[in-house]
Amino acid sequence: MYNRIAVLRKERGLSRKELADKIGVNFQTIGYLEREEYNPSLDLAFRISECFDLPVEFIFSTKPMKPLSEELLNLKRGV
Amino acid sequence: MNKILKKRRTTVIINYLGIVAMLVLFYLVKSHILRTIYLVLEVIPIAVIVITFRTAFVKSSLWNMTHSSSKKLDEREMHVVLHATNISYSLFAIVTLLIIYLFILSNLGQIDAVLAISLLYIAHILPASIIAWNEKV
Repeated sequence: MYNRIAVLRKERGLSRKELADKIGVNFQTIGYLEREEYNPSLDLAFRISECFDLPVEFIFSTKPMKPLSEELLNLKRGV
Repeated sequence: MNKILKKRRTTVIINYLGIVAMLVLFYLVKSHILRTIYLVLEVIPIAVIVITFRTAFVKSSLWNMTHSSSKKLDEREMHVVLHATNISYSLFAIVTLLIIYLFILSNLGQIDAVLAISLLYIAHILPASIIAWNEKV
């Protein structure tokens, strides 16, 4: 599974430890999630989406995710 | 393989070699191949075991991870510990069976306290060893 956790965390200026504390996991687990070496449970995926205040499908995908800048541009162009 | 993982794996190997060295020395004395005075040398493998145990398992928090209640672990840690415990169970059964066969075939007598304590120690460090071997930093 692919995700945007690393980008979103950096964008919000959070450290791995801070994000880990917010969603109730060990900070090492954040590293595993960001490297896409661990697929979170549905419960954890929803906690992450609530933390970033974004829909789950925006953060996680079964297909490789496009860069956010590209998605924004597509959105602007109405593609 | 990164440096920390390589160092951790080496420490785990040295820890197990310390156990083997301690047992070999003990049985060499017990079988009268070496004189009793050589038991003093047991201090060396025991020191190696203690030092490497601290480095590989205590300082890395792996001991805490495998010995704490599941409530204190997150879902990934629980998955990792469960997987390590499953492998440990099989490995420990094989090792114990081999030792029992060895004792039966080589007339070493009964399994004594030193071996029993070593096996107990191994049973406790096996899950942490498997995690130390596989976990990325």
